Amino acid sequence: MNIIEIILSPVIALLMGLFFLGLARKIMARIHWRYGPPIYQPIIDIIRLFSQKAMSHGFIFEMGIILSLAGSFLVILFLPIGIMCPLSTGGGLLVILYVMLLGPLGIALSGGEAANPNTSIGISRKFILALCYEVPLLLIILAVITHYNTISIVEIVNRQSMSGWSFGSLPLLLSGIAYLLILPAILGIRPFEVVGAAQEISSGPSVEYGGKYLAFNTIEHGLNEFIGIALFVNLFLGGGDLFGIFASFVDTVLESILGVIVFLVKMIIVFVIGLFINAVYPRFRIEQAVKYIWVWPTLLAFVGLIIVIIVH
Amino acid sequence: MSLELLLSIAFGGAFLTYFLGKISSKLRNGFAVLNALALVVVTAMFYGQNIEKPIHISFLNIPLILRMNMVSWFFAITIVGIGLLSIIYSLKYIENEKKLDYYYFTTLFINASMLGTVLCGDLVSFFIFWEMMSWSTYLLISYKGGDRALFAGMKYIIMSIIGSMAMLLGIISLYVNFGTLEITALAAHIQGASLSYILFILIMFSIAFIIINAFWPFHTWLPDAHAEAVSPFSSILSAVLVRKGMYGLYLFMYMILGLNVLNKLTFWGISFNGVFCWIGAITIIFAALTALLQNDSKRILAWSTVGQGGYMILGVAFATSLGMAGGTFHILNHCIYIGLLFFVAGAIEYRTGGIRDLNSLGGLIKKMPVTFTGAIIGISGLIGLPLTNGFVSKWLIYKTLILGGNPLLAFFAFLGTWGTILYGYKFIHNIFLGQLPEKFKDIEEVPFSMQFPIILLSVLVILFGVLPGLPLKMINSVDAYLGFESLQVTLGGIVSETGTLSTVNIFAALVFACFIIGLIFKVSRRSTKVDQYNSYAAGAAVPKDKYHYTVSFYNPLDRMIRPYLKDFVDAFYINFTEFIKNVCNTIRRIYTGYIGNYVMYIVLFLALLILVQLKWSVF
Repeated sequence: MNIIEIILSPVIALLMGLFFLGLARKIMARIHWRYGPPIYQPIIDIIRLFSQKAMSHGFIFEMGIILSLAGSFLVILFLPIGIMCPLSTGGGLLVILYVMLLGPLGIALSGGEAANPNTSIGISRKFILALCYEVPLLLIILAVITHYNTISIVEIVNRQSMSGWSFGSLPLLLSGIAYLLILPAILGIRPFEVVGAAQEISSGPSVEYGGKYLAFNTIEHGLNEFIGIALFVNLFLGGGDLFGIFASFVDTVLESILGVIVFLVKMIIVFVIGLFINAVYPRFRIEQAVKYIWVWPTLLAFVGLIIVIIVH
Repeated sequence: MSLELLLSIAFGGAFLTYFLGKISSKLRNGFAVLNALALVVVTAMFYGQNIEKPIHISFLNIPLILRMNMVSWFFAITIVGIGLLSIIYSLKYIENEKKLDYYYFTTLFINASMLGTVLCGDLVSFFIFWEMMSWSTYLLISYKGGDRALFAGMKYIIMSIIGSMAMLLGIISLYVNFGTLEITALAAHIQGASLSYILFILIMFSIAFIIINAFWPFHTWLPDAHAEAVSPFSSILSAVLVRKGMYGLYLFMYMILGLNVLNKLTFWGISFNGVFCWIGAITIIFAALTALLQNDSKRILAWSTVGQGGYMILGVAFATSLGMAGGTFHILNHCIYIGLLFFVAGAIEYRTGGIRDLNSLGGLIKKMPVTFTGAIIGISGLIGLPLTNGFVSKWLIYKTLILGGNPLLAFFAFLGTWGTILYGYKFIHNIFLGQLPEKFKDIEEVPFSMQFPIILLSVLVILFGVLPGLPLKMINSVDAYLGFESLQVTLGGIVSETGTLSTVNIFAALVFACFIIGLIFKVSRRSTKVDQYNSYAAGAAVPKDKYHYTVSFYNPLDRMIRPYLKDFVDAFYINFTEFIKNVCNTIRRIYTGYIGNYVMYIVLFLALLILVQLKWSVF
């Protein structure tokens, strides 16, 4: 069972991540009154990119992108998808928070060696933005940990299927709203699209990638979207639970499959909401992003944490 | 083997090295390395022993007592270990400087006196060794000469003396009250003392230890001293000397007072340990954000030393078995990776002709791959990325804070990590990545004697990160000596009822993922290598030498946070020294040193006396 999960969850994440990228292009096109590419376009692109010529800038340029992708796959092994969680006893949320660093760091190292000023500007922006949204994100995660009194994300999901989703419970409501406010920053979409700003700094960190590097970078981008949303769904929307109506098929294969489907549907809903925000907002400058995140989401998250501490 | 022998080797070796240097420099270097190696071997042999032994040299009828236990051993092995590596590193690094006999002597002497502080069993010898350590450190910080090094040394010694005086006051008070200064006897006597007296003693000693540990608000000496000292010595300074303050806290908080007394020290709802926790949290945030603004490779590392101290005290002051294990392990880990990083910064200085300015370096990865590997492993350890040693100790500390019901402290600790990522990446990016300036195109890798410490410490960072069971078994026995429960560890992880950590699993998964992706990478179409100028700039040519985006790397953030990061303590220190300087200058106008002036003062004074006598006939 465990071996199947270890193989299956990265595959689901990979396909889902690429599906997100395709969906994003399609929905954005429709909002712009265009027809848009087919949803499977990113998959075609990646297959094509693997056969194309690429330029390499050196050893770390290659290793960084491999490390980053491996790090992202590693996070997915720790994240419950429905009731699937291959490394559920690995160390919990604390490990997830730390393994999540490998993705951006790998890209940063790889891009750093490319010696392109646009890359460096993009990386600098990425780290500043990450430092910013990490402030509310940590407050939110600590509120959830304190509320459920555990650092195991599987346990947090299980508790929600028993006592209702965190987003619906009063002490965690503010934290949930704060997470929604910083979600665009985590996903790197507008209004926080400062890192990969195509018109300003030629897509930032990925400017030097071509061929297989660009393919890996695209996959990494898709996984990043997957992780950001999956964390939200697990922490606040009860993971693969749908108001406990699967209780009749506990411990069957059917439960796993239904759990995964419900989980993915929740993710798509959250992502589409994010896309709508992406479609209507212009891009912040990095200073504006910092100011915004350090005022409203941080305030909400802080009050949320205080409420949770008082309730317990 | 006896403890006297260990100390004799340490001190005797230092003096002998100095005199051998007068004969031949090769002999001196060889002897210094042998002496440091002998210390490592002898210290290692004391593992697990518990000795307490009076020596018949007495002072004020107090015999000198030497003792060895797990806590002493733990600190002693870090001292001699880093000492040995630092000496090996110095062989090449320092060879072109002047006063080499003096350098080796002082380094070995500092090591010996640090060993003395952890091996003595009474407070008189503790104080004497402590002072020997402080003064010899002062001499070595200012070794390079020049205004900045002298200023840094002076700043250090002033802060250090303030601490020593507070400690001396505490020692005298203890002697007056209990008539003994033996640590074991004191530990028994002090249990009966009043709480306010215990608090007074603890505060007096804590001042000394906080200053040497460079916790906020007494951190101001550290960034200057670490940046200005020669790199091999910065390593010693940052990795072990600063942590003598942690040893002092262990000694007073857990060996002399014990957990029972500490738990009673709560006044108006504020506990002594709680204050320490908050000092730790402020130290972490303040240091992490300040380090972001630095442009000097060694200053960044110095600020990180300040910040990492905060994690240690958070774990140690929380005083649970999980927290103690995390804090103690973090002392060891920090010792390993900060030693490594200062060696890296030193290697860059060595090859580039003393450049520490991050804005004028770049692209050195192609020229110095071993140093780069050391840097990236060291920075990963500093950040606490999974599979490095720093991760395990930080994981333990975070878990302590969360389980202890203190999410706000955990928040500060976590946020400090993100600050670390920012300055850690800046360190790597500005030195090793980006464009290689033309002037550095003939640089070579450092010689093997400088690579060796870097390689060895890098291996340790990874080894302790993947198999944390190895060091944690030893750390368990350190904490057991202090009266804490042992943690359940396996070779590849930590097992506890509230959550387990399996670093071996993470390692296996990451290696497997890298392997699969690497395989896909290999079978897909080969890429062509291009030089650093062949990059995309939207149709414009990338100019040589001028297009390395490193200056003001985090400028938008810098502009926003700099106004809030005023270092009031440092400003106070500088203003105060200015004030004292002015007062002394005023006095100097009267006290000029000319005989004529003094004769004039005497004549004037006599005239005044005569005047008084004539007018009022007082005498």
